[in-house]
Order: sequence, then structure tokens, then C-alpha cells
Amino acid sequence: MISERFASIQRKSILSVAILFCAAGLGFRLFQMQILNQTLYETKSANNSIKQIEQIPLRGVFYDRNHKLLVNNVPAYTLRITPLDYDTRLNNLLEKVLDLDSGYVSSMLDQYKGFSKYLPIKIKRGVDFSAISWFEENSRHLPGVDYIIEMHRGYPGGVNGSHIFGYTKEITRKQLEENKETYKSGDVIGYNGIEETYDQQLKGSKGRRFILVDSRQKEIGSYNDGTDDLLPVRGTDVILTIETSTQKAAEEEFKNRRGALVAIDPNTGEILAMVSSPQYDLDKFSYITSQEFLNQLYNDPDKPLFNRATMSIQSPGSTYKMLAAIAALDLGVITPTSTIYCGGGVTFGRFFKCHGVHGSINVVQAIEKSCNSFFYQLIFKIGLDRWAEYCRRFGFDAKTNVDLDEESPGLIPDSKYYVKTFGANWPRSILLSLSIGQGEVGVSTLQLAQYTALIANNGKSFTPHLVRSYINSDEQEVYLKTHPIDVGIDKKVFDVVKEGMYLVVNGSGTATNIRSDEYVISGKTGTAQNPHGKDHAWFVAFAPFDHPQIAVALIVENVGFGATYAAPIAKRVIETYLNSLKDKPVKENKTLVKLEKIISEQSGEN
Amino acid sequence: MRIDYHLKDRFDFGLLFPVIILFGTGLAAIYSSTFNNSLAQGNFEKQIIWGVAGLILFFITYSLPSNVFKQSAIPVYLFSIALLIFVLMIGKTVSGSRSWINFGSLGFQPSEFAKVGTILMLARYLSRTNTDIESFKDLLFALGIGLIPVTLILLEPDMGTVFVFLAMIITLIFWKGISVFAMFVVLSPAIVAVSSLFGIYYFIASLVIVVALLFIFRQDFFFSGSIFALNLACGFFADYVFRALSPHQQNRIQAFIDPMTDPLGSGYNTIQAQVAIGSGGLFGKGFMAGHQTQLQFIPEQWTDFVYCVVGEEFGFFGAIVILSLFTYLFIHILKISSSSKDEFLSLLAIGILAVLFSHFIINIGMVVGIMPVVGLPLPFVSYGGSSLLVNMLMLGILANIYRTRKNYA
Repeated sequence: MISERFASIQRKSILSVAILFCAAGLGFRLFQMQILNQTLYETKSANNSIKQIEQIPLRGVFYDRNHKLLVNNVPAYTLRITPLDYDTRLNNLLEKVLDLDSGYVSSMLDQYKGFSKYLPIKIKRGVDFSAISWFEENSRHLPGVDYIIEMHRGYPGGVNGSHIFGYTKEITRKQLEENKETYKSGDVIGYNGIEETYDQQLKGSKGRRFILVDSRQKEIGSYNDGTDDLLPVRGTDVILTIETSTQKAAEEEFKNRRGALVAIDPNTGEILAMVSSPQYDLDKFSYITSQEFLNQLYNDPDKPLFNRATMSIQSPGSTYKMLAAIAALDLGVITPTSTIYCGGGVTFGRFFKCHGVHGSINVVQAIEKSCNSFFYQLIFKIGLDRWAEYCRRFGFDAKTNVDLDEESPGLIPDSKYYVKTFGANWPRSILLSLSIGQGEVGVSTLQLAQYTALIANNGKSFTPHLVRSYINSDEQEVYLKTHPIDVGIDKKVFDVVKEGMYLVVNGSGTATNIRSDEYVISGKTGTAQNPHGKDHAWFVAFAPFDHPQIAVALIVENVGFGATYAAPIAKRVIETYLNSLKDKPVKENKTLVKLEKIISEQSGEN
Repeated sequence: MRIDYHLKDRFDFGLLFPVIILFGTGLAAIYSSTFNNSLAQGNFEKQIIWGVAGLILFFITYSLPSNVFKQSAIPVYLFSIALLIFVLMIGKTVSGSRSWINFGSLGFQPSEFAKVGTILMLARYLSRTNTDIESFKDLLFALGIGLIPVTLILLEPDMGTVFVFLAMIITLIFWKGISVFAMFVVLSPAIVAVSSLFGIYYFIASLVIVVALLFIFRQDFFFSGSIFALNLACGFFADYVFRALSPHQQNRIQAFIDPMTDPLGSGYNTIQAQVAIGSGGLFGKGFMAGHQTQLQFIPEQWTDFVYCVVGEEFGFFGAIVILSLFTYLFIHILKISSSSKDEFLSLLAIGILAVLFSHFIINIGMVVGIMPVVGLPLPFVSYGGSSLLVNMLMLGILANIYRTRKNYA
């Protein structure tokens, strides 16, 4: 049944009239705008257009712990050509002044052919000052040629620190799509390291200026006398925990070696030095990064972009023996004087061997001599899950929450893990390997440094961190909150273990080669077995013995025994740092000179 | 000529042809406005791919048996309601509205899909043999079907799409044959609600008109009283909704009332768009030569403001060609709707017409400065995958209705 009124001719006519009436209305409006008032809009378009200019603030700079400048902003001149006003007969002249190959300018212009002629093309970045002054003097004869100041990162501290600092680069399309609310196309953001972690604080806030431009994009005045303008706010400057001379020494030691080093002040958790080697050259990121350079970094088999200090997970080897010792002493399953017999190894299914025949030894001697038999037997007294629980108390099996985004938690296996992997009857002989830091146990250099710091400071420290403080708008240093760690173990336990570590270097232990007259260093060697090649050498150490100021953990990949290769590096880093404390300059705020507030301007849409 | 006659009889060239020209013009405008913009690199190529996908969808829809539409009405409607609820929970917020669901890099607006679902459902309900649009109960039920998605979209909030839905619901009820008085009952609260936004005097004036009309219609006292109360409530409700709108939408409505109050904020787009169109003149400044377009005075011009690229670069001539093509298309759709012998299909066609037409009026209206900036794309012309696909789907339905128009008696 169709109702009489349904889709009636009358209703169809009403709709037809409505459609035609609306279309005619829009048509009339277009006629009014485009024909009657065209000249009005034409002048508006040609003369007074408001344009928003974005003003990019200076990025926050980095200081080291003694207020020495490590990373700053360096102005660089970029020469531009606006094709509409430019005369191509000037090509040869420009090439001569800029010291470019002939044909370069025209090839750059060709590249942007088809783009709007009103938009300036960046011809060359990093033009030197003498050339810029020449352009300035002769600007009258160079129509369509101008320059802008762009900022890039400079590294005046003489420290490479690639994995600490990270780099800055224009935001990629993909990241932009993920963070549409926070970033805009063309924004320069931090990648890796502190540049990434603290990007929000470092970037400052953009300013904006409203200007009147004519149709050729020439500025003809500020809009509304600048009342709507917003000044850019500089990014926040930060003070790192890094000690420059220590960092430099560590970087030098790792030149041509692969590995990682982390040095921590055990009293505060401040990271004094952090190296991941091979490093990469941050300077190459400061201008436009060439695709070639990036490909080279990505394809390098040594993976220079990878932060080995926080991401590379290895077995800690014998450096891990202190953990079992601490657990056993704290649980009371041994006393400092109880002895275990070493006859050159232990038979458990198969024969697990030791480096030598040590006889009946106590825990101090076991650490000194790095006796495997002692720890093979000790772990059975502790039990796997209790052992794993102690590992976690020292921060293993979890991220340290250092202020870097790239970090691996490592792995500490427990019985649940083995039941899942091998079933209920998992081979108990695995425990023997774990007791000497081999097998499934995996740690990062940073975790091992934190563990060394906790031992040095009797179980109390702070979360390791790289940024100590920032400078507020009153030029005052404001310290960031640090998170205390307390493993809750009695000092007496640590005294025993530390005595063992003392003897490793100063007794008849495994690293007597780094004994020093100046400072009392205590440490422990380790070797991480590597199925793919030569073993990795570990060394952990702290100094001075009585009031530890520095704890170090380091790994040198594929070199063999720890004491020979790794220990001397630790010695140099420790000595450099302790020396720097001796002739520590009085903290002077003079170094915090306000940088000249140069603002680089960038057009809003580019 | 026999074959040709058959083809013409089965395939509606009058429907596809203007749309292809509109799409082509849109492509040119997108190319021109995105060429220099690093943010929009690749949009031109993407739009071509969407166009091809849309054409495939069109032909698939065209060749479906036409009883599919009626059968799918309830599931499609329920699914689109579910999507609208889903987007409120997990959706991605773009410029103040939580209206996007993302699959990787592809975004999709459930409200686009809900348009089709709601038209199908309403057309199905209204074409039931025992539906009497004059009965209060049936009318209320029909309005309910339409207002559920409207409420959900209002929560996103996406004002532009809400307008489209309201226009579609009213047109469907009108086409079904509602009496003038019932139409008044439906429309008056909406008119009162809108006028209340302009201020207290407009609100009171509209209420006075409602009372006067109630006297003219001479319904019983109790009924008239309830209608008046409903109007009053809607007026206050509108004020509440306005406050609930996101700041950017409030600003846009205020900027529409007087764009010069905020020339750098919400009014900026309107002013720049008008300057772009107005300065185009009779024949425009030429392809890729518009100052406003090439200097990117209007942000994201390739989406909602694509018409001002046409206006600036192709002038009054180009703008009128687009306007005429749309008008031709709409009259043609109206013809398809009234020629269909099946009530459901006829209602379906008129619903699609209402959706396309309201997009057209609101989009061009906002670009030429006679409507608020609510952010609706111009069908077939603006850049955007999900809107193009849904529009091509609806076009396919229309072509299908044309093909089968004689099958039902």
C-alpha cells in the first residue's frame, strides 16, 4: 500500500525547487564575490595577507657535572634563492663565491622546478661567514638571493658521547603521524640519548609572529603592531652527571675496541662516564644527514647506533660471584669463616672444573681466587629461587630506569623459567653454571655497574641517571628527584665481600696487574663465554676502598681474559676521575654565560 | 543501436559522468594545493588509488541484486551503531573530535558508514506496509532510528555530520508523505533550538511564532501545550549542547557569526578562503598559479577547503561548472527516486540525495562564508579515502536502483 502522499509529484517539485533555489543562491554568492567584488578581494590577496611565522627557540644545552659546556647550538648560515626574483645569469658568480662546482646552482634550481616560484630554495647550508659578508655587501646586485640563520648542534667539550647525547634531526613522517598533537612537520626533534628522553624540556616553546606579506611573500609590516605575537621560549639547559675528563679517558681506551663501560658514583647513582663502542660521529648529524652516512651506520656489522651499555645483554661471568656470596652470607647458610673444599672441580652429572686446586677455602678467598668449585656448591645451599630473588634486589631482570629510552631488562632465570623451558625435570646441573655467572643469566653493563655501586656503598644507592639538574629561568640549578635504592642487607655482609674484592687486586688475586700506589682499587674479573668467537672480558671495580667514589663495570668484546684487557681500562678511568676530584675547580657560575639569544626563523608551513 | 539502447536502459551514464568530472577537478585541485606541501606529499597519488577503489566498489554495488539492500538494512544499521560506540571508546581525536578509527596508517570515520546504515534502516522502517507516518507512535519510532546515531555523533562531537543526519531524516519523512502539521511538530523544536543559540530575543521570537502556528493548526489544547513544552525544552537543551561542544567548534560557530572578531583564530580560514575565491575573478589565476593556494594561506586546503582552490585557480567559470554538475546530479537522483516503483528503493535514493546535497550545501556554504565552518568534505572532490568510498558506494546503490527501477510493481 503506497500512501497517496508518498513521493507525490508535488513533493518532487518541492525538492526540485529547493535544490535549484539553493544552487542559485550559491551561484549568486559566487557572482557577488568573484565578479562584483573581485577587485576588493584581489587587493586583499595581493597586498594585505596575514602570515604566521614560526619562531624556533634555541634548544637547551648540556653541561657536564662541573658546568663545562658539552653540547650547544651553533649558528650556521644557509643561502637561499627565490626563483621568481632571481636572475640565472648570477649562477657562475654564486658558484665562485660559494666555492661550488660549476652547474651546481642550476642543478639545484632544476630540482625544484615546478614548485612554487615564490618559495625560497635552500641552496647551501653551513656557508662560511666571509661569504655571507660578501653577500651582505652586494645584496643590491643579487636579487632573489638571501640567507637565513639555522641552528645546529655543536660539541665543544671534546667528548663524543654519541650514545649519551643522541642527536637531533627533522621529524620523520611516521613519527609525525604518531604525534600529531605535539609536533609539526619540519620540527627538529631529539633521537636517542638525552636529546630524546628530555626532548620536551630541551625544545622550549615556539614563538609566532604575525606579519603582513604581499603576494610575493615579502614582509610589509607586522600585523596589529605585534600585539598578537608570542615570543619563543628557550629550551631548558641541563647539567649532566658526566665528568668530562673521565668520559674522555674512557672513550680513548675504547677506541678500536668493541664493548661498553659505565662508571657510577655509588653515593648518588650519578653516571660519571658511559661509553658504547664503536661510537658514531655526532657532528655528521648536525647538518643534513646524508642517506649514504645513515646507510653506512645501519649496515655496519659492529652496529654503532646500538647502545651496548644499556642494550647489550651478556653473561656476567665471574663478576657475578659476589652475588651468590652476598645471598649466602645474608641467608646465613655460610659464615665468613666456613670453608668449602675445592679439589679442582665438582662432579655433578659431568665434571665441572675449576681454574686450579684451591683446597678448603672460605668465601673471601673464593672471591680472591675466583674459585668455581666454591660457588658450584654454594648455590645449592642457597637454592635457585632465593638466588634469583637476590639478583632482583640488585636490580637485575629489570630496567634500571636510567634516563635513556633504549634499555634492556636482561634475564635472571628461576625455577618457573626452567619448568617452562625444559619441563618439571629440568637438569639441576644448570645451577652450577648460574653460580659463576654463565648460562642463561644475562645482564647489561649498566646493571652490572649499578650492582658494583651497591656493593661499594653497602647496599644503598640511587637509580643511575645522566641528568643531574636543570637551570631554571632565574639561572638557578634545580636538582632532579632521584630514587633511592636499598637492598636491605647488613653492612657486615658487604664488608666480607669487599675484602674479597680488595684481595683480587691487592692480594694474590686475578687482577693484581692493576694495583695502584695512589688509590686502593678493589674489583673482580670476569669472562663471558661467547659461542661466536673469543670470550668477552669483564671487569667490575670500585675505589677508593674506604669511601668509594666511583664504581665501574666494563666489557671488552672478543679479547679473552678479563684481567689482561678490561682491568687496565677500569684503572685508568678510576684514576682519572679521582684525580679530577683532587683538583676540582671551584664551581663557578661564570661558565653559565647566557648564550646570545639568536633566533632562527622558519616559515610556518615548511 | 539496439545494444546501445539496452545499455542506456540498464546503466545510468547521467549519474556517473558528472561524478567523474567532479573527481577529476578535485584531483587537479588536490595536486595544485599539495604540490609544495611536505605534509601532504603523496596525497594526490593516494587519492587516485582511492578513486580506483571507489570505482570498483561502485560497480560491485551496481551489480548486486537489489533485494540485498533491504535484507542488509538491520545488520548494517546495528553494525554502524556498534562502530559509533566503539569509536567513542577507542577512537583517535583529530582536531577536537573523537571520530576516527585507525588501522595502521589508514584512518576511517564510522560516521561515514553510519550514514548508509541509517538510510537503509529508516527506508526499511518507513516502507513497511503498516507504517503510518501520521501516527504519533510510528513517527516517534522513525525519529528514534535516526536520532540514536545523531546522539552518538553529537558526543564525538562532529557537528557537520549531525547536520547531514538531520537533513537526511527530515527528507526521508517528508518523502514518505508526512502532513504539514506533523512536519511542523518535527521541525519546530529544531528551529527553536538553533535560534536559541543566537540569543534570548531570537529564542523568544521563535517561541511566539510557534504559539501563533499552533493556533492556526487548531489542534486540541493538551496536544498543543505538549508541543509548546517540547519546543521550550529544546531551546534550553540546545544551549546545553552548545556548552558541551568542543572549544574549536564553539569558536567556529562564533567566528561564523562574525569572522572579523578573531581574524587569526577560527575566522582565519573563512577570511582566507573568501579572499582566495573572490580574487579568482571570472577565469581564475590559472592552474597552480593561485597566490592563496600556492602560498598555503589555508591549512589543509585539499580537504574541506578544496573548493576555494577551484574558485581561485579556475575562477567563477570553474566554480559555476562544479556547481552546475552538482545541481544536475541532484536533479537526476531525484528523478531516479521518483521513477522507482519500489517504496523502499525510492526512499533509499532520496536519503542518499539528502546526504550528498547537505554535504554540498554546507561545504560550499562554509567556503563562501554563508555557513559556519563545520568541517565537511565536498563529495567526490575533497581529498579523503573513507568519504570517497562511502560516496561511491551510495552512487552504486543509485545506479543499482536505476537498473532495477522497472522490476518492482
